[in-house]
Amino acid sequence: MNWFLPGLLFCAMAQAVLLGPLSVWGIRPDLFLLLVFLVSQRVSPEAATALGFLIGLCQDGLSGGPLGLHAFSDSLLGFLAARLSHHMYTDKPLALFWLLLGGSAAAGGITLALLTFFLGPRLLLPALFRVIAPEALYTAAVGLLILWLPQIRAALTRPT
Amino acid sequence: MSVLLRLLARYRRAVILTTALVLSFLLMTLQVRHETAVVTLTRQALLFVVSPFIKVTAASIQGVTDIWRDYVDLRALREENKRLQLETTTLKRRLDQLQEQALETQRLERLLAMRQASQAEFLTARVVGKDATNWFKTILLDRGSLEGVRRNQPVLAPDGLVGKVVEVTPTSARVQLLTDPVNAVGGLIQRTRVTGIVSGNLGAGARVRYLPLLADVVVGDEVVTSGMGGVFPKGILVGRITAVERRSGALFQEATLQPAVDLSRLEEVLILTALEAREGIESGTRSRQ
Repeated sequence: MNWFLPGLLFCAMAQAVLLGPLSVWGIRPDLFLLLVFLVSQRVSPEAATALGFLIGLCQDGLSGGPLGLHAFSDSLLGFLAARLSHHMYTDKPLALFWLLLGGSAAAGGITLALLTFFLGPRLLLPALFRVIAPEALYTAAVGLLILWLPQIRAALTRPT
Repeated sequence: MSVLLRLLARYRRAVILTTALVLSFLLMTLQVRHETAVVTLTRQALLFVVSPFIKVTAASIQGVTDIWRDYVDLRALREENKRLQLETTTLKRRLDQLQEQALETQRLERLLAMRQASQAEFLTARVVGKDATNWFKTILLDRGSLEGVRRNQPVLAPDGLVGKVVEVTPTSARVQLLTDPVNAVGGLIQRTRVTGIVSGNLGAGARVRYLPLLADVVVGDEVVTSGMGGVFPKGILVGRITAVERRSGALFQEATLQPAVDLSRLEEVLILTALEAREGIESGTRSRQ
């Protein structure tokens, strides 16, 4: 886990600066959430919760939203992903994509619920179609690419 | 004590998860109810630690982009040189006429700059980062409290309103864009002087809410700041109405607003730093009308 802090720093840089030109209709993939997934596959549920909290807190610090918003969803998702990682391990790309899509959509749902609770009613449909769904799709696609990259590389370098 | 420790060790998963969730909830509650020093300091510390890296990354990207642009320019230079030689002959004839006009323009520009400088104080800032989530619309600037940036100072671009400063560290500042869902700006339909509230709507545009039901609002109307609320000076161009909605049974009508500034392509902005600027902006906009 020596890569955690550099990874967190990279996510912060990428999310704030690098991903701007790659945004589609103003939506960028949530790299912090992918980091939570990556971390939770390698540590215990307790550590995944704590690290998820730290990742979320960093994301909140770089956003205009209330501090604790993503810390809440990321610590919960970190815990669940670490807890279920042994049961849900898969190397099939389609299953991995759906898993990431579900996790990202769940994180969006939690964020929407918290925002509604703290900042008043949000419009459900605009939030669903303009933020949650496109963000989940984009995050899952990028996540699949990152998580599947070692397998692609191995397949390409395998002697024929 | 040992029993407590044993219990904690036994249920450590539940304890850690509950602690993280309660702590997050507590942080949000503290911030939403009233901004406490703990939350403000935590946010500022996080931003203070990360903003230098963001600045360096943004500068590096700019450097690489410049080098690439220079290379592309060099390749196009040879062809352009031939074309320019042909154009030079034509341009020489026009030059005499334009020189006279240029002198006149320079004089007028100097007068205008002097007038603006006496009434408004602006600080130019570069945009170095964007919001880390898709839920909020904020940008990070490379100027902070050391250069005189304070909370709630209006931020403008040459085309109109950008937003306001919501968070300041010594070397950076976060600006809440007018398309942010949490943002609210007092707006005024310039043609009919009807007031409403401009706020973000989770998409790229913004909405003008609380417009009286019988008010005359049509597509193409320009919306300027109303000056109410005490944050934004009156008369800054906010955007143009692109659609008007009148729902049956509703007490107010709403309109969709296209911001005057392309907020997705911002590179440099102006921070309005002086109080006396309020009059300057207002009179400046009126004089253009």
